[in-house]
Amino acid sequence: MSELNLVQAVNQGLRQAMESDKRVMVLGEDVGINGGVFRVTEGLFKRFGPDRVVDTPLAELGIVGTSVGLAMGGMRPVCEIQFDGFLPATLDQVICHIGRIRNRSRGKYTVPMVLRSPHGGLIHAPEHHSESPEAYLCHTPGIKVVCPSTPQDAKGLIIAAINDPDPVVYFEPKALYRAAKGEVPDQPYETPIGKARLAREGTDISLISWGAMVHSCLKAANILNEEGISAEVLDLRTLTPLDIAAILATAEKTGRALIAHEAPNTGSWAAEISALISERALLKLQAPVRRVGSWDIRMPLFRLEKYYIPDAGRIVKAAQETLSF
Amino acid sequence: MPLSTISESKTQRLEILGPDGKADPSIPVDISESELLDIYRKMVEMRLFDERAIKLQRQGRLGTYPQILGQEASQIVPPLCLKPSDWMVPTYRGQGAYYARGMQLRYSLLYWAGDDRGVHFPEGNKDMIFSIPVGTHLTQAAGLAWAAKLKKEDSIALAYVGDGSTSKGDFHEALTFAGQFRLPVIYLIENNHWAISVPRKKQSASTTLAEKASGYGIFGLQVDGNDALAVYQAVGSAVARARLGLGPSVLECETYRLGHHTTADDATRYRSAQEVEAWKKKDPITRLRKYLESRKLWNAQEESKLKTESEAMIQAEIDAYESFGAPNPLNMFSDNYASAPWHLIEQRAQLEKLLKARKSQHEALELPPVEGRFP
Repeated sequence: MSELNLVQAVNQGLRQAMESDKRVMVLGEDVGINGGVFRVTEGLFKRFGPDRVVDTPLAELGIVGTSVGLAMGGMRPVCEIQFDGFLPATLDQVICHIGRIRNRSRGKYTVPMVLRSPHGGLIHAPEHHSESPEAYLCHTPGIKVVCPSTPQDAKGLIIAAINDPDPVVYFEPKALYRAAKGEVPDQPYETPIGKARLAREGTDISLISWGAMVHSCLKAANILNEEGISAEVLDLRTLTPLDIAAILATAEKTGRALIAHEAPNTGSWAAEISALISERALLKLQAPVRRVGSWDIRMPLFRLEKYYIPDAGRIVKAAQETLSF
Repeated sequence: MPLSTISESKTQRLEILGPDGKADPSIPVDISESELLDIYRKMVEMRLFDERAIKLQRQGRLGTYPQILGQEASQIVPPLCLKPSDWMVPTYRGQGAYYARGMQLRYSLLYWAGDDRGVHFPEGNKDMIFSIPVGTHLTQAAGLAWAAKLKKEDSIALAYVGDGSTSKGDFHEALTFAGQFRLPVIYLIENNHWAISVPRKKQSASTTLAEKASGYGIFGLQVDGNDALAVYQAVGSAVARARLGLGPSVLECETYRLGHHTTADDATRYRSAQEVEAWKKKDPITRLRKYLESRKLWNAQEESKLKTESEAMIQAEIDAYESFGAPNPLNMFSDNYASAPWHLIEQRAQLEKLLKARKSQHEALELPPVEGRFP
């Protein structure tokens, strides 16, 4: 075990996956010599050379499209889209192709690729650098979407994503890149895709989340605890396919569910989770399922981001309202 | 049938000022002395501003900031060839272009401090907002030019684009439309040789970026982008052609990003100091100053006066920027729709309530008035 931050954990996972499988390659803007703008691919160029760690031309759609071809052609591409705000440029490939090729070819072709991208706000980044576009991807059939909140899961999920036979979108919460630290096993391991993590046990209300917002939920749970309220926190880790068993287990246990996330609420992944809980656990619920997301407006420039993305205070308030329903 | 040549394209390059500041007399440049001095002053002001902005960022008084250091000629000169009614469509590295269009520097600072109030163009200007995702503004510029053409206006559009952005599909699509509809649009490629850490030669196998134009039936020209006179001449001609309905142009201004990509970058990780030093010798400001001195339009005394005055002006802009204070968080909800729908009315009320509750709790928050239109 070594104490790593999230950047180091993803880096170690990539390195170990590349060491054990020669088909694994990393491509994207500035991922080579520069080691990525967040340094996630630091040292990989030196270790594995320019054929396996590729500084691509500046063309996001091209990066994803060629990754589809590389994956179908027998490689295991891990492509990086430098910022979440540049991800929409790739949606033609993501929505129309990567998740459909297995089915369209009647199982003859597969696309075992990973698309990595930073996720979320609160690092005082410029415009279009703080987005939470997961709903567009989770809505798309045929792909898997994961988003770790701890270094341990970050490493286990990147290895699992690379080994997965289908395309996986891997979101890295920027706010946690250096802030999240934890003990990470030195050996390669997989964190299973599709399995949530119970981050804190409780009995009165379930706070369900992913990415950086998990930490705001834990903070909210501490505040609620001082008021004598016992909150359970579920870290989804995988957004598609959802761990429905874990979601229903916590919702049924506490009878109150709140889903916190960084994206605008309307049409969000929180809305989908809320619908699932309502459809499958209605009679176990003591209150309506609550979504706590950003406002339904575009991400503002960073001076106002703390008023846009929910903080622990907004989660606490929503939890109190749910408890007093 | 033997192979036959069915099309030939050649790419030309325009240079007027040598590194010593001597102008090639064979290319007459139609520019007045006052215009020349205006260009020079603005280039110097921009450089001094850049230096101050970097310091502000290092002191935590500004967010991530992209310098234009070294690109002053290709930034400042093109807008001076336009009318306010022409569209100016910048990239994210566009403070110089905005400044040349008359936007006060305080607003550039405000924008890079993460404040939406920084988007503030002079009244009557057709300026596009900073384009942060690269290349997405290029088809928009074609559309802006298209609208002007359809409305039979004589206005045109000039879009900046980096060398990296020419790799994007957007560039291909923009040039396809511009060429096909013979739109009055100019694509000014600021080839500063580095797309963050990726050098120009790794961006495309094409020898030049200017020659890409010919594949779309568009006029293309490479220009010494550190030569203010050449940029002026090339953009001026392209503007004239566009206004006459003779179609679009691609101008590759070859320049160099002397600074880091932004304050969040460390260029020493991926490029050599020797390369940077070599480009410093082609500095656009030094070259123009030598030229002006050779024409007796400038001297050391003028230079020192300009520096003093510029520093005072920049300080005043910084003071004005810092006196803006925090924006009202409710500004977020203004101007999202012509008429706000129910859920935004509801959510804005929630935020207002939240702000009031927090104010009474712990935040001694005195909020300025809300700006913008709502509902």
